[in-house]
Amino acid sequence: MTAVPDEVELFSTIRALLSAHNSAGIEIRRDTDLAADLSIDSVAAMDLVMEIEERYDLDIPVNEISELRTVGDLVDLVRRQIEERRG
Amino acid sequence: MLLPTPTTNEILPFRTEGFRTLAEGLDYAARGRTGMNFHDSRGELVCVLSYTELRERAVRLARRLAATGMARGERVAVIAETSPDFVVAFFACQYAGLVPVPLPLAVGFGTRQAYIERLRGMLRAADARLGIAGRELLPVLVEAARETAVLGVHTVEELMLRPAAAVEPEPLGSDEPCYIQYSSGSTSFPRGVLVTQRALVANALAIARDGLALRPGDRCTSWLPLYHDMGLVGCCLTPVMTQIPVDYIATATFARRPLLWLELISRNGGTISFAPTFGYELAVRRAQTANGIDRFDLRSWRVAGIGGEMIRQSVLDRFARIFHPAGFDARAFVPSYGLAEATLAVTFAPLGCGSRVDRVRRGPLFEVRRIAQPAAADEAGAVRDFVRCGRPLPGYAVEIRDDQGRPLPERTIGRVCVRGPSLMREYFRDPAATARVLDRGGWLDTGDLGYLVDGELVITGRSKDLIIVGGRNIWPQDLEWAVERIEGVRPGDVCAFAVADKDEGERVVVIVECRLQDRAARAELRREVHRVVTATAGVEATVVLAPPRSLTYTTSGKLSRAAARERWLAGDILDLDAGAEETAAALVAA
Repeated sequence: MTAVPDEVELFSTIRALLSAHNSAGIEIRRDTDLAADLSIDSVAAMDLVMEIEERYDLDIPVNEISELRTVGDLVDLVRRQIEERRG
Repeated sequence: MLLPTPTTNEILPFRTEGFRTLAEGLDYAARGRTGMNFHDSRGELVCVLSYTELRERAVRLARRLAATGMARGERVAVIAETSPDFVVAFFACQYAGLVPVPLPLAVGFGTRQAYIERLRGMLRAADARLGIAGRELLPVLVEAARETAVLGVHTVEELMLRPAAAVEPEPLGSDEPCYIQYSSGSTSFPRGVLVTQRALVANALAIARDGLALRPGDRCTSWLPLYHDMGLVGCCLTPVMTQIPVDYIATATFARRPLLWLELISRNGGTISFAPTFGYELAVRRAQTANGIDRFDLRSWRVAGIGGEMIRQSVLDRFARIFHPAGFDARAFVPSYGLAEATLAVTFAPLGCGSRVDRVRRGPLFEVRRIAQPAAADEAGAVRDFVRCGRPLPGYAVEIRDDQGRPLPERTIGRVCVRGPSLMREYFRDPAATARVLDRGGWLDTGDLGYLVDGELVITGRSKDLIIVGGRNIWPQDLEWAVERIEGVRPGDVCAFAVADKDEGERVVVIVECRLQDRAARAELRREVHRVVTATAGVEATVVLAPPRSLTYTTSGKLSRAAARERWLAGDILDLDAGAEETAAALVAA
């Protein structure tokens, strides 16, 4: 079982995963908008979610995805999911 | 350990005929051991719902629905997750004399609000009285149900705890509706296709007996959404009517891990599976980065159906090549044509022949006179390949008509009109929209354009999307597919349409979703798009490099060219480089 990563570590991991979708090369911050700034469409969103799930051994519910707007939202969701998984 | 349902019923005889309603079909299937198998996002089997258990739970829920005081024929809206609860709720409505309305799911980041509005539009149009959703989506449906006629929104679990009606309700009869499917129309005015029991029974039988030649030992595998005709009718209701077992993964699971689809077929020996072209394309895309194609065993897959959108032969060829080492046989491809307004299927290509193309000559004959003249087999250059979608199913007819409604001869392109025992009764409570597509002679104008060759239907595009420039017909797909092949542009990024310009000519507009931040790189892409458009169709176009997510898709994943056109004309889609091309206002204004 993976340990709960700290905030900094989680953010930098997700930032690294997002870099594949960051063709524009902008700086990724917590308030970066996933759709508007990073151009992650619905197909790319699923690719990204899968990478995160594989990395942390999670199952992210689909309906939660539609509520995410920023990178920060995504980081928070992943942390919640990891914590839940650890009980 | 959980085991999937068996592929065949040892004792119960295989039967496809003689059912008058969906409920009767399930009554029969419930006497066997087959059923539905649901898999999670990793492909693990998480729930087995035998047809026996499905019927038991549906009847139990039906008695609770009957006790709510809803009148016969009232609508129950159910979010169509790929879950046992959705299927139970759908069939409970059948037993309770209520009409289920499957609702779509949301996709993508930050789409929640638009999704809620779409659901609300459907709840209103269907005048639904009850909403049903899984625990996770319940809050969304509750919000969508505000200011509608919906009296309550619940999970199946909650409803099961309610008191049951003393008397078993009367199931929907053969003259009554079966369900309403919302697949087209706008957010505020969605159009609900009302399918009757008679239509469903007729189409399921035609698909099973004539289209697929189903037999004991067949097994269906599906990731298609259950709010759509191909997923709902093809991969859920038809299997019930034929006692065929189904292995499901959710659509979102497929989108994340497309190869799970093929893994599931390999594991359980699936024989039948359908997808639109883009499904095969996603699998190809993932297979190129994954290794171990030989871990799949696709030898059992005898019908690899294709439908739902214009079929692209090049994608099928790539799929066949990549999965050949896993035992995939390209002869398994079965192109088909259908639409929600006909319940599902209208034509099926013959089994075991693979996908066959009709190669036609481009040029004035094709583009102006709309005649699809066959090209020589080795003819290169100005040719166009179209996939043959097969002949109409027995009991169905296809006629190609001109704009005045006169029938056209073979190899002449016109409006595809169909007749048969499974046409919808109406667009629910929308007589004007119904009258536009259904005539008194029992013909449905599909809105598609195509031609017949040897009695087989070939689809060339949507009539409302056809671009006519200088009297020449240009198919938007041709332009889009060509532009999508440019490096850095992806499938689904491109939309082509025409607008009337200020000189009363038609101007082609090509919108390309663009992720390039660098101005010079964008200029390069713009040049390339112009070049490709000219090379493909010989027309000048206005190229719009738009921000991502500018284009809209229907719930079935079809590009909405009309919506893109409207938004561009309204100035809602702007070029990333202002001044690079003429704006809509400048182009259209006098």
